[in-house]
Parts: sequence; structure tokens; C-alpha cells
Amino acid sequence: MEFSIDVDVQRRIEEARELGAKEFRPAGLEADRNAAPLPVDHPFFERCIERGEGRTRWQGLNPPSARPAPTRTVVGTLLVMEELAYWDRGIINAIPGPGLPEQSVLSMGTDEQKEKYLGPFLEPDRPRWACFAMTEPGAGSDAAALTTNAKRDGDGWILNGAKCFIGSASRSDWLLVQATVDPSKGRGGQRAFFVERGTEGLGGFKIEKKMGLKSYESTSFTLDNVRVSAAHQLGAGGRNEKKAGFKTAMQTFNAGRPIIAAQAVGMARSVLDEAINFAKIHDLTKKDRVRDRIEGIARRVRKARMMSVRAAWLADQQRANIIEASMSKALGAQIAQESASFALELLGTMGGAGNHIIEKLYRDVKAMDIVEGTGQIQKMLIARSLVGLPR
Amino acid sequence: MNFELGDDLELVVETARKLAESELTPRLRESEASRAVSEDLLGSWEEIGLAGLEVPEAAGGAGLGAVARVLVNEELAAGDAGAALALDPYGPAFTAILEVAGEDAASEFVASLSRRTARALLIMGEDARVDLVSDQISIDAPWVAADRADVIVVLNGDEAILLREGFTLERVRGAGLRAAGASHLRASSAPIAARWSNSEGAARARSRARLYYASLLIGVMRAACEFSAAYSQEREAFGKPIGHHQALAFLIAEMRIAVDAARLLVHEAAWRVDAGLPSAVEASSAWAECIDVSRTVGPDAVQILGGHGFMADYPVEKFMREARALGLLCGGFDAAIEEAGRELVNSTHPLSLTTHGAN
Ligand SMILES: Cc1cc2nc3c(=O)[nH]c(=O)nc-3n(C[C@H](O)[C@H](O)[C@H](O)COP(=O)(O)OP(=O)(O)OC[C@H]3O[C@@H](n4cnc5c(N)ncnc54)[C@H](O)[C@@H]3O)c2cc1C
Repeated sequence: MEFSIDVDVQRRIEEARELGAKEFRPAGLEADRNAAPLPVDHPFFERCIERGEGRTRWQGLNPPSARPAPTRTVVGTLLVMEELAYWDRGIINAIPGPGLPEQSVLSMGTDEQKEKYLGPFLEPDRPRWACFAMTEPGAGSDAAALTTNAKRDGDGWILNGAKCFIGSASRSDWLLVQATVDPSKGRGGQRAFFVERGTEGLGGFKIEKKMGLKSYESTSFTLDNVRVSAAHQLGAGGRNEKKAGFKTAMQTFNAGRPIIAAQAVGMARSVLDEAINFAKIHDLTKKDRVRDRIEGIARRVRKARMMSVRAAWLADQQRANIIEASMSKALGAQIAQESASFALELLGTMGGAGNHIIEKLYRDVKAMDIVEGTGQIQKMLIARSLVGLPR
Repeated sequence: MNFELGDDLELVVETARKLAESELTPRLRESEASRAVSEDLLGSWEEIGLAGLEVPEAAGGAGLGAVARVLVNEELAAGDAGAALALDPYGPAFTAILEVAGEDAASEFVASLSRRTARALLIMGEDARVDLVSDQISIDAPWVAADRADVIVVLNGDEAILLREGFTLERVRGAGLRAAGASHLRASSAPIAARWSNSEGAARARSRARLYYASLLIGVMRAACEFSAAYSQEREAFGKPIGHHQALAFLIAEMRIAVDAARLLVHEAAWRVDAGLPSAVEASSAWAECIDVSRTVGPDAVQILGGHGFMADYPVEKFMREARALGLLCGGFDAAIEEAGRELVNSTHPLSLTTHGAN
């Protein structure tokens, strides 16, 4: 047993801390004040590209052999994410890049699709985004019930439907859209399709007004007889064709759960530091009630962090971590919410004024129990394995 | 980061688990009624070599640390927490001597006791009235989990105080852990056999005592979770297993999450003790968390069994009582959060991670 991190991870966390303080925090506050996502031409995004962010993990079809992929542990990545979220969770999602669908393309896409869709992210000439569109107005948690459909049209497809809350959708070069090719097959009938920006019939983009996480867009749109070729179907013609459906989509979320948990931990840690700071400034540290609140927050954060790190560590060991990942996500989101709420009580009416960072964190953090599988859905998954809860 | 136990600890845990399953669980009510574990059980525990778990090898012990202790305690307590206490001749009294007085004193301490039948008790200043007048001590401890004792160690402030005589134990009914006994301990102007003062050592001793009981609590809660989860798949109501009703399915998931998280805090704090890192806040937090969780896990396990859970035919009522009783020790929840809170409000980076191989 060993609960320390190595020097390399420590260094990456420190870099994240610097970046977070200098770039993420101010950008996040600006968006929150303006109640709008940072515009596409915001200098923040230019600087992201200059720093080398917004790139794909893909190495290209003929990777230069001299460049071995860095072996980074999931634990390390997770702790870096925790640190970045400490400074601003919304900005993590606002950062350009192939984002959520990247993993699906890497694992299920054909070489041509990788070249076409991830290629531009190898050395991006400008900030570029992509998005993964699963959720619909009528189907969120019950993703198997989505109704956006793809009908055969010659050797291509015609897509119809509506999606909502999709991150960065209106600014994406392409959208990976989850649709059903055969509603009678439920989840088995689902496939994913690349839809490029500007394709006829793709429209109705509406950037939602949100309670928090305002720095990135969550956007609804419609697909109205959108025609795409056979080559736009994820994995089409490749050996993964049959597999590139519902399962792939779910795998995207499985891998992301400990990360979301870690981000919630980072936000809760931010709450903790701000609460301690507030107590010091206002000479409250001698009050039992205040100390008890702070202890309660610290304890919550500590345990949620251990749960997320354990799930990540299991992933590093290539061991099954589905329950642990779900447990970490359910717990992390919940403790972060409780912590922010608890800390606001410390602030009293100063929290009510709405201009303290803890108040922003309180609004931001609620989403962590909703995105990538709600707390209830996590508990469902856990209960399936603990007591055989049927589907 | 490494959550693996390693082969040696794995073996220790396996040994403890087997013993708990084959000897403790089946005799749980019997031990409770007779307020003791059987002689042969004490013997086999000593033979395996786990009775002196933390005793240095030079003094004939296994020479293991806080991590080993919390792992073993969880396994034993998952069988019977009272028996776990009865099986440990020295309890956290030994680590208190070890941390405050040092290895020589600790070796002497165990040499003066029989490894099979000794009972050494640790009294935390938080759990009793303690009065010191020159070289005499008076103690009033309303509940200790024992029917007899050979020595008493009092951990009071920065001091560890050893008593070999002048105390009495008067049997009480006890709220739980009866397999270890239950008494009201009194000492009136008893002679102090030895005393040591060492503030850092006392802090570590306090951490180890809290982790000792925290891990017992984890074991009890694990048993409560496992028993109630299994029951929920067999008992049917409204046409399906009760565990397939979402209200209970989610409750069971929440119990499991809570216990897993508390266990990780215990492990991390124990690892810090063994690594020689400051551990007071972490151990207090872990202890507070275990107690916090036990407030619901015990009663929830009974709830899952409904009326059957209320009856002594099933072990969950015992788990509920014993989890509650354990959480009253070492100053309980309030002392733990007070200790952690005091340090936290003065720190600038309260949750910074430890870097391996730095400094
Ligand atoms: C900020 C933000 C960003 C997002 N980004 C994206 C994105 O980029 N791409 C994307 O595809 N989606 C995105 N989403 C959508 C998100 O994934 C969904 O909101 C989420 O899956 C929940 O679905 P829903 O909103 O339809 O709620 P519903 O599924 O309608 O759930 C409503 C309530 O019912 C509960 N519930 C549902 N089923 C059960 C059950 N079986 N048992 C018990 N309780 C149940 C839920 O837990 C919830 O409490 C985003 C959402 C937010 C808030």
C-alpha cells in the first residue's frame, strides 16, 4: 500500500496549478459574469493553441517513430484534472480539441475516419472543436430510448431528430451523432454518424442559458433530413462496424466517470480552501461551529478523492473498475454539492450577495451529478452488480 | 499510488479472514453470551503468530505496522468485533507504550504479560475521568470492553501512564462487544508503575488507537452490508426480491459506497503512520468518518431485514449495537472532528498530496 504520488505527477499538478490560476480562473469568471460562453475568437483560445492544447492523442497514420507516446497513468491524468477543475471546471470543457468523441473514433473509427476527423487536430491551424451528441429532449438517462433516426438512402443515410445540451455543438467542425437505424432493436439498433458543420439540414442551434458552467456552450440542435454518405457512419466498412454502436457510446462514459469524480473533488477542494480563507479573514477560526463545517468539508473531499484515485488506479492496472468508477462518480458529485452548500452557510448573507467564488462553485458543481450518468444511474449500475438489480 | 496489499499482507489478511469465517461468525452468539472466546481459539490465534502483530520481531512478535493492524482488525470484526478485541492480548495499549515510551519499554511491556491470556487495556483521557496527584492516579471509566485486566495504560494528554495494580473492574451489561467483556473500571489513588511523556509519540499513539477501533468499525459495517445485501436477494415482497425494489437497491449501493470510502481513509491514515508522516488529522478524519457512516449503516442493515432484523435470530441487530458502541470510544466523533478541525483551519494547503521520493 502506498498513497504518495511520484515527482513527475507532482510536477504536472504544479503546472496545472499555474495554468489554472493564470488562465482558467479569470476566463471562467469572465464567462460567468457575462453569462455566456467565451466566443470562438476569444484570445484565450488562441493561447490554448499556442500552448499546444486542443490536439488529438492520435499519432497520425504514419507516426514518426522517434516520438514514442508518453506513458501517462490514468491516476496522473485524473489528478491533473482535479487540479484544473479546482480553478474552473467549465473551462476544461471549453478548451478546443476533439473532446468527448475522440475515444470513440480512436477505438472504433476506420483509418480514413481517423485521418479525416482527427487529422485536423494533429497540428491545428486554429481552435477547432468536435462534439458527441447523444442526449435528446426526450431521452437522457435512458439513452436506449433515443429517437433520432438514420434511414438508408441509396448507400448513404438520412438523419432526422433533435439533440440537446451538447457541449460545443455550434462551434464544432463535426458532430458525432448517435442515432437508431432500427428502433425495433433498442440499443442494439444504434449507430454513430459524423455530421460535418454546414451539412444541409443541420441547424436550429440554440445555446442554452445555464445555472452554472457558463464558460462552455451546451447547445440544442435539429437534424432535418440530413444526408450523409456511408463513410460517415463510425466504423463503417471496418472490422468494428458491428460494435460501433451503443456499447461504444457507453464506454466513452465509463472511462470518464472517475475523471468527472476527480473534477468534482477539485471543485470541492476549491470550496474548502475558500472557506478556510473566509474563516481566517473574518476571524472565525475559533468558533467550533465553523471549524466543524470545515472539518466536514475536508473529510468529504478526502474520501471522494480516494475513491476516484482508486478507480483510476484499477484502470491503470487494467482491472475491471466499473463499480468503483460508478461509486466514485456518485460520491464525488454528491460531496462536492454538499461541500459548496455547507460553505455558503459559513458565508451567510455574504454568500447571498452572489459575488463570492463559493457561490459560483455552488452553481457550477450541480452539473457533476447530472452529466455522464446521473447519481441515480450510477447507483443503478452498482446495484446491478451488488444485488442483481434487473435492467 | 498502489492499492495492492502485497503478498505478505495478503497472507495475513487471508489467515484472519479464514479464522473469522470458520471460528468467529459461527460462534458469535455463544461468545456474546459467555462473554469470552474459547481457550482453544486463543491458543490457535497465538500459534498463528498474529497475537503480537505489532510487537517487534526482536521481542517475539510479527513486527508489523498500522496497515497490518487495520487489515486484520477489519477481517476479525467482520466475524465478531467483540471476539477481535478478546483475541488481542495487548490492544492499542501496546502501541501507546511503543509510540510514547519507545521500543525497549514496549518489549519490556510484552515480556511482563502472557501472550495467550493477557488483557492490557488502553484508557484514553477522553473516555474517562482521570485525576493525577503526584505519583498516584484515580480513574473512573464507565465502560471498558473487558471483564478483567492485567495492566492499564492511560493515554492522557502527552503522557502514557502504566498501572499494574490498584484498579477494579466491575461487570456491567455492556451495549455491545460482550465477547470481550464489559466493565466499569475504577482506580482510586492507585500507584503509577511507570509514566512517559512525549507529545509527538502521544499524537501517534492516539492516531493508532483511533485507527484500531476505526478498522473494527469497518469490519462490522462490512458484515452488515454483506449480510443485508445477500438477504435482500432472497427475501421477496410484492412479487420480487426486496433488493430489486429501487428504494432498497439504492440504499444498498449507498451503504457500500460509504463503507468503501471510509475504509480508504483508514488505509491512507494507517499508511501515513507506517511511513512516519504526520497522521493526526488523517486518523481523526478517518475515525470521524467511520463513526459518521456507522450512524446509518448499522440501522439501515436492520431496516433491510425488517422485523427479522430486530430479532436476535439474525446478526444485524448485533452489528447495529456494536457499531454504535465502538464509535463511542477514543472521545468519539466530537473529539475527532475537534482535533482535525483545529489543525485544518490553520493550514494553507490542507489536502496536498504527498510526493514520493521528494525532500
Ligand atoms: C452541463 C451539461 C452538459 C452536458 N453535455 C452533454 C454532451 O456534451 N453530450 C450529451 O450527449 N449530453 C450532454 N448532457 C446531457 C446529460 O448527459 C443528460 O442531462 C443526463 O444524461 C440526464 O438526462 P436527462 O437530462 O434527460 O434527465 P432524465 O434522464 O430525464 O432524468 C431525470 C431524473 O430521473 C432520474 N432517473 C432516470 N432514470 C432513472 C431510473 N431508472 N431510476 C431512477 N432514477 C432515474 C435521473 O437520475 C434524474 O434525476 C449535458 C448535460 C448538462 C447539464
